[in-house]
Amino acid sequence: MSVHMTRLSIVPARRVAIGRALGLLVAVMIVGITLAAMGRPPLELLTLILRSTVGSRFGIEDLALFMTPLMLTGAAVWVGVRVGLWNIGAEGQFYAGAVAASAIGLFGTMPAIVEIPLMAVGGILAGMVWIALPAAARAWLGVSEIVTTLLLNFVASLIVFYLATGPWADHVTGALASTERLRVGLPEVWGAVHIGFFLSLLAVIALAAFLSRSRFGYESAVVGANPEAARYAGMAVSRNVLIVLLLSGGLAGLAGMIEVSGTVHRLQGGLANNYGYLGIVVAILARRSCLALIPAALLMGFILDTGIVLQTAQISASAVLAITGLVMMAIAVGDELSAYARPAIQPKTSGQTS
Amino acid sequence: MLETPPDPATRPAGLAPGVPALLGLRGIAKYFPGVIANEDVSLDVYAGEIHALLGENGAGKSTLMNVVTGLYQPDAGELILDGYGVQFAGPDAAIAAGIGMVHQHFKLVSRFTVAENLHLGWGETPRRLSPRALEARADALSAQFGLPIRSNATVETLSAGEQQRVEILRVLSRGARLLILDEPTAVLSPVEVAELFRALRRFRDEGGAVIIISHKLDEIMSLSDRISVLRHGRLVGTHRTAETTIPDLVTEMIGRPATLDESYPRSVPRDMAAATPMVLHGVSARDDRDVIRLHPLDLELRAGEVLGVAGVTGNGQPELGELLTGLRAPSGGMITLNGRDVTGASARVFSHNGVGHVPEDRLRHALAPSLSVADNAVLREYDRPPVGGGGRFSATQAADFARTLAERARVMLPGVHVAIRALSGGNQQRLVLEREIRIASAVLVASYPSRGLDIGAIAAMRAMLAQARDRGVAVVLMSEDLDEIFALSDRIAVLCAGRLMAVIDRSEADRDRIGALMSGRTEGSVAA
Repeated sequence: MSVHMTRLSIVPARRVAIGRALGLLVAVMIVGITLAAMGRPPLELLTLILRSTVGSRFGIEDLALFMTPLMLTGAAVWVGVRVGLWNIGAEGQFYAGAVAASAIGLFGTMPAIVEIPLMAVGGILAGMVWIALPAAARAWLGVSEIVTTLLLNFVASLIVFYLATGPWADHVTGALASTERLRVGLPEVWGAVHIGFFLSLLAVIALAAFLSRSRFGYESAVVGANPEAARYAGMAVSRNVLIVLLLSGGLAGLAGMIEVSGTVHRLQGGLANNYGYLGIVVAILARRSCLALIPAALLMGFILDTGIVLQTAQISASAVLAITGLVMMAIAVGDELSAYARPAIQPKTSGQTS
Repeated sequence: MLETPPDPATRPAGLAPGVPALLGLRGIAKYFPGVIANEDVSLDVYAGEIHALLGENGAGKSTLMNVVTGLYQPDAGELILDGYGVQFAGPDAAIAAGIGMVHQHFKLVSRFTVAENLHLGWGETPRRLSPRALEARADALSAQFGLPIRSNATVETLSAGEQQRVEILRVLSRGARLLILDEPTAVLSPVEVAELFRALRRFRDEGGAVIIISHKLDEIMSLSDRISVLRHGRLVGTHRTAETTIPDLVTEMIGRPATLDESYPRSVPRDMAAATPMVLHGVSARDDRDVIRLHPLDLELRAGEVLGVAGVTGNGQPELGELLTGLRAPSGGMITLNGRDVTGASARVFSHNGVGHVPEDRLRHALAPSLSVADNAVLREYDRPPVGGGGRFSATQAADFARTLAERARVMLPGVHVAIRALSGGNQQRLVLEREIRIASAVLVASYPSRGLDIGAIAAMRAMLAQARDRGVAVVLMSEDLDEIFALSDRIAVLCAGRLMAVIDRSEADRDRIGALMSGRTEGSVAA
């Protein structure tokens, strides 16, 4: 009889960690082999990547700036996924938040201490407004949020291009598809790392605490796991769906506000830089844990940073997409394989056959 | 390979020596993570016999049938068909070999006609065929196998019994020689059960073989020729039905003798003038398509009394259960709870005012299977101290709550943080029942609480309902098992086709009277 591998229904966290680490290692090796096959020296590139990311002050600052929006868009997607809702529109809500913040930042006349909180609130509200229609349609009519949130991304992106090339276009420097520099910006704390990084970190931690300690966190978990049981327990299912999606949109909107007011300082076409979509990757990497969004965002930020380094080494920008896909797949395979183990109960007949 | 072959002494009576079995199982084993689903199962099924398969929940009956029908591959052992070893790569191969299964939940397309369903996915269905020709073929099959059907009716308009006939006919028309039925009588009225058994006996007498899975021992004793019992995935015995008894079978199934009590004496005498915590005045219900499901009815629930609701499944019981627990707003009439008008109030209002509910499908309606035992334990009381209150939720308090609940329900937990779907059906039901009894200060509605449970779990569940009654709770017990209704009820309500036929005191009720009411005959015509 052959050795049986069986699938564990509950996989210990340590197994998952090992499986993922091995998966990452395999992904890195595949990238290395590919680079070698292209005639690039992989070890030299690896050294370059490490030096320009975690190995230097500027690298770490860059990494933190990449992590900032990823933590928030990751959280935005994650709160939905937690209850079985897929907000694919974080990209659009990100833009909406950025537009609202830019409007205040460009045309407001108040002191920064008043205006920055106002921009944050405006960003969050704009993100909520952008998801409101898909959220209401999902909550009361059962319309799939996946399609509606996705389609609104393109609308938001085009509006930003319109604003940045039309009414809000920069007439001072003549930059393409960009507004002028916002009058106020998030204060920088450590080099280029602004307060938005810490705000995002705090937001993820607060979200984790809120969901595990609040009635809303419990109710939404039940609604997500089994709406029938939620109705049986007297919970307002539609209202919970609506609030979860609004929360999701608000987080993505906040990400947009922080990006435009802390990192970019201008509303630009393409500002979202796929952060909304990459939020899906971050949320999936984090699996069931909210706090795991932080390392997941770090990994994603590292990949983005790697892509830029590779670009400076004359390797195509689309390498980032390939590497992201590879890492996702390697981690998914690692997750799956870590669930397999020798059965706890060995078939008694084994060993008695030839 | 070490295996125990079937005992020759248990071959069907009167079988000529040397006749090979239609299907033989030798040392079948199937393992799942940490679980032995089947191990060393060897049994023979002969042409011309009805072979019953008994066992508790989780004894491995379904897994074994999935192996036989090609859905699973055995991890050890072999299948022998007509004396030759076979391997079924999938259900198609099993069907081609003449093995067909009728599942507990029918697999028909509800919008299609009977004739269309019969011909779906069948190699012999002609490519081009008019509906009339299709129906003619269906009628011919119906006559051939002696199973009357209405070939031009759409499946959704059929009763459960008629749908089952279509399923059986579909299997037989594909040339099945071995027919496997999983709990076929659960959804049938007594009349339909008799019709089914007639058809099965006819199939057997014409040389077919039947494997029937059932929890209903009386039926098994009257129908089957031989009985095999599984326990913990292993075959513990095969018997000629004539040579065994129900108590022996129960002992074999659960490893110890057990019986279900026929009555549950009260600890306090019945108070005939007890309060009525819930009263329904002319209450009716319509479904989402505005079709009337429950005709206006008047009903009083009395404290410290069990009201049994008898009726064939699907005659308005789900609707009545939903009305009593606030899950459905009545389309007419008025409901009062503790003297207050609660017509149209939410399920939350009902539960906060002391209405507990054990719904018929606990995994779908009363539990969130993927969430932890702790999260499920607090489903009714998460919004009040100690677990919650004022928007808070305490996971540690929820865990403590779950431990206490499990202790009271006498459930051994692997831990409060494991997903509740990892628990056995019996333990899930105990937890749900205990959780609901906690909040049921006025009314406890239990819909088919014994469905899918084995005899030990049923006994525990009934004792819990009797205790609730003794504490003064108005208990409503819906069941398809008349023995259960008679054992526990003080009054019996009978539903048929969405009408409340009568409410009879237990002392005046007998099986014939209830059975007649269940099939729609009114009191007047019964007396006549």
